Amino acid sequence: MRPAAVAAVAAGTLAAAALLVLAAGASPADAFVALLRGALGSSAALGETLARSTGLVLTALGAVVAFRAGVLNIGLEGQFLAGAAAAAAAGPLFPDAPLAARAAVLLAAPLAGALQAAPAAWLAERRQVPAVLSTILLNLVAAAGVTWLVRGPLRDPSGDYPQSRALAEAALLPPLAAGSRATAAVLLALLLAAAAAFVLARTPIGLALRAVGEAPRAARAAGLPDVRLRVGAFLSSGALAGLAGGLEVLALTGRLYDPFTAGVGYTGIAAALLGGMSTIGGAASALLFAALGAGSSALQRDAGVPSSLASIVPALAVLALLLARGERRER
Amino acid sequence: MTGFIEIALLLAAPLLLAATGELLLERAGSIQIGLEGTMLFGAWVAFAAGRAGLPAWGGLLSAALAGLGAGLLFALFAVVRRADPILVGTVWNLLALGATAFAYRLGAGETGSVLEVATLPRGLVGLPDAVAASFLAPVVLHLWLTRTRAGLRLSAAGENPEALRSLGLSVVAVRSGAAAASGVLGAMGGAVLVLTVSPTFVEGVTAGRGFLALALVVFARWRPLALLPAALLLGGVTALQYRLQAEGFGLPYALFLALPGLVALGALALASARGGAPKALGSPAP
Amino acid sequence: MSDPGAALELNGIRKAFGPVTALDGARLTVRAGELHALLGENGAGKSTLVAIAAGLLRADAGEVRRDGALLPAADARAARRAGIALLPQHDLLVEAATVADNLALLDPAAPPFESAGARRARVARLEERLGLELGPPGARVGELPVGVRQRIAVAGILQADPGVLVLDEPTAVLSPRETSALFRSLRARVATGRAVLLITHRLAEVFEGADRLTLLSRGRTLLEAEVSSTTPEAVGALLLGGAEVSSRSGALRPDPPDGERVPALAVDELLPAGATGPPASLAVPAGAALTLLAVDGNGADLVGSAIAGVRPARGRIRLSGRPVPPGDPRAFRAAGGAFIPADRRAEGLVPGLSLAENLFLRRPPGRFVIDRAALAAAADDRLRRFGVRARGPWAKAGELSGGNQQKLLLARELEPLPRLLVAVHPTRGLDLASSSDVRARLLDAARAGAGVLVVTADPEEALELGAPIRVVYRGALSPPLAATTPLAELGRRMAGLAP
Repeated sequence: MRPAAVAAVAAGTLAAAALLVLAAGASPADAFVALLRGALGSSAALGETLARSTGLVLTALGAVVAFRAGVLNIGLEGQFLAGAAAAAAAGPLFPDAPLAARAAVLLAAPLAGALQAAPAAWLAERRQVPAVLSTILLNLVAAAGVTWLVRGPLRDPSGDYPQSRALAEAALLPPLAAGSRATAAVLLALLLAAAAAFVLARTPIGLALRAVGEAPRAARAAGLPDVRLRVGAFLSSGALAGLAGGLEVLALTGRLYDPFTAGVGYTGIAAALLGGMSTIGGAASALLFAALGAGSSALQRDAGVPSSLASIVPALAVLALLLARGERRER
Repeated sequence: MTGFIEIALLLAAPLLLAATGELLLERAGSIQIGLEGTMLFGAWVAFAAGRAGLPAWGGLLSAALAGLGAGLLFALFAVVRRADPILVGTVWNLLALGATAFAYRLGAGETGSVLEVATLPRGLVGLPDAVAASFLAPVVLHLWLTRTRAGLRLSAAGENPEALRSLGLSVVAVRSGAAAASGVLGAMGGAVLVLTVSPTFVEGVTAGRGFLALALVVFARWRPLALLPAALLLGGVTALQYRLQAEGFGLPYALFLALPGLVALGALALASARGGAPKALGSPAP
Repeated sequence: MSDPGAALELNGIRKAFGPVTALDGARLTVRAGELHALLGENGAGKSTLVAIAAGLLRADAGEVRRDGALLPAADARAARRAGIALLPQHDLLVEAATVADNLALLDPAAPPFESAGARRARVARLEERLGLELGPPGARVGELPVGVRQRIAVAGILQADPGVLVLDEPTAVLSPRETSALFRSLRARVATGRAVLLITHRLAEVFEGADRLTLLSRGRTLLEAEVSSTTPEAVGALLLGGAEVSSRSGALRPDPPDGERVPALAVDELLPAGATGPPASLAVPAGAALTLLAVDGNGADLVGSAIAGVRPARGRIRLSGRPVPPGDPRAFRAAGGAFIPADRRAEGLVPGLSLAENLFLRRPPGRFVIDRAALAAAADDRLRRFGVRARGPWAKAGELSGGNQQKLLLARELEPLPRLLVAVHPTRGLDLASSSDVRARLLDAARAGAGVLVVTADPEEALELGAPIRVVYRGALSPPLAATTPLAELGRRMAGLAP
């Protein structure tokens, strides 16, 4: 995009955000400072930003992998939940073996995410049910599933708040620095993003995926295994979102509760869009949104602006981008 | 009117309104998967109007106006600027969720108490007039699409927009009008929800009904009259669940939550392969 | 400068789409009471010019006059009101709607509310007034044969009784017989004083039925003349002039049939999905070619795409003796098949990827990682040998012109030499020079040992290919005809008449 257009998008988003802040009765300057402080102002804040970015980077990655292959997987939210649920179920099975617990989570979470995506993939290829619809409906089912699990099979008998049994303290990932919430999980996420970028751009399978996404009929006529590629992309994106959910449990919460996400699946899609549907751009936008999320509680505390601003701004940014770009098809 | 039927009808009404609006929009060639967000927006506006002292019908009217604005805004992005409507719709939901939560928090403060508003009064048939009207909406749409010149042109916009352009008509204008109308209907669906079944607002009160409405349109194969049995089925299933729960036989609460989604998925799987979709659905306006 | 007798006049029209100049000072004058032909090679700007005349596009410069009066630019409604009606190349009808609804849509005098009965009555009225059969009013247009749909579209826009009727390649989908019928009704129309403007590339039709012609080339008007004052050869020479003509041409002389060699392609009782005729059986020997000739909609393309596995089908397909399950493009290619589809933009190339990536889509050099240097070198070499003109191997395939895109496809499909190449409408939308080049390469492939199956709707092209011809009518194949068969006989067979 031309630099002028990028500037316009940024300016437009900031202006809209400022208006919202004013409506909340605060000054934009104060709000901006509070936000920065909450996101980057201390090592704890920085840790918070990095901690939140794990989930967002992985869901954004999942969106990129799917969308570039022509799969409109809007179900990352539900796949995230599936991964978190699997982690909350598998982790506590190894109360005395932290390494085994971690391994179990890292295996079960992506698998659960892929399984959550599988029915939609099947419906898309075998029954021509649009992925947009089926994945959205599956999100509803997954949310209901979490409600059931934390009050039923996974319920923590001690305590009256509906939540799952906790993983052993030792199984949780240790923080990178004292007092920080950031763990090695964020490094894993960034590593996967780099790996995905390489695969898409420089490998034969990445080329095939891009071809199937850009021109599915031509790819099929040319003899590419289009169904296999699309299903593979679908399941991979589900696995990435599932891993995000599992890491959320393993690195941050230690257990599952209800509700568990704050729209991380949808925000990941927004990040991917803002990043131009590229792995690097999506990861960068995800970091930006993570900073926004980290700063938002400070925003509410110090400036009195509801923290839901952190959900509004990404959506506004993407809308501004779509307005500026106009007609361009990602698929 | 037995309680069960009444509840079923009340539950079906918001779905019908939203689905009718979306069907109109999709027949014109656009698609708004952010319908959930529009419904949520309408729900919040009706709630805010009620808190501001307006009677229930005032809330309904406010929601309709708000929906008109929302529909035109959507048209700006997805029709005039020709951005991919799926992408617009995806962030639309995010925006609506955040914006209504933001506005609600500002208005309601930190109180944890449930704020109520007045509900719609009963009308001629023992149900609020708006609810009865929602059952007429698909019929009106059917007649409009098949018997009027404007309806014919709207169908052409969704099937062969190039042809419409060749006739000197503006596809952008037709789709924008459809977006405005669907915004009104979607927002009213959300308003009816707040003004009848649950006379209060919570974050995410629509709980996925907008997505169910999207599935209804596909299941009805884009034919307005088929929306009626489909919506009644969903409403009936939910009403049945309420009744069973009251008598202690109900399914676990969570399964009850998942049921509409599962039913919709099942219906989509069984419906023959995507028959009946407008040919130019989702394509940019020429 | 302007002609007072002109029903429609375009002067000094300039139009550019980004860096590409479509029209560069083009002019066109259509007089009342004449049937005017607009000719030109592909990309000459014909469709753009008439779109500007109909108010669908805004010219960068120039003016449009109707009966001498200046028309507002890019105002389709004003153009319609001024009596200019355009039947575009793409379908004007709504496939999912009925005949009655489609005609109501095209009727400028349609009332805001109308019952189904009134719409049916309109169909009957039109049938009577125009003497055309339009099919059952309640039938969905998408299910009717192409010739009927064309008639419905023409009847539809005639409702406005346009003073200037513009038809963009109307005969592309018509049989020779339907074409004659169309010309008869057009001539009847101009006899009443109205004007008809016909875009076509078929010289034979022009010299049979038109009064005057205008020749566009590269966005400029090369010639405006009375048809009677020039000849097809003269006009043809102007059309070809300045473009490269491949020196390799000449018909393929097929090898005498070798009973021992396994045919490159053997098809037995093949019934493609969506076909409405009998199952097809045919064979193509290795090192030889076979042409399937048919008017669009008679099932020849369906056979072509079914053999390539792109369209599901029932029946048996064998490539060099190896059975290939229908509906499986991968199996087709694994057995040595290659395919050039009719729609190169949607089914052939991936427009967003580079030329190099397109060329080596399935097997780029390098095992786990793509060797970009090797890829670029291999692509460069192949682009050069196949005459593809482009900025370089990393240019995007979507940027190429139609002719170059087709050459790119050939470059992809012909190396390594396939056992069988299926090419459907390989020269559609290409100018004469590119068409010639493409045909030559197809024949080269056959000479090198491949079996080549060409599907075309152009009888002249079938003759030029020099291979045995099987005419397809309603799914049924004629026996193989020699390439010396007279054009008239081909035409009759294409129309389903006795030869």
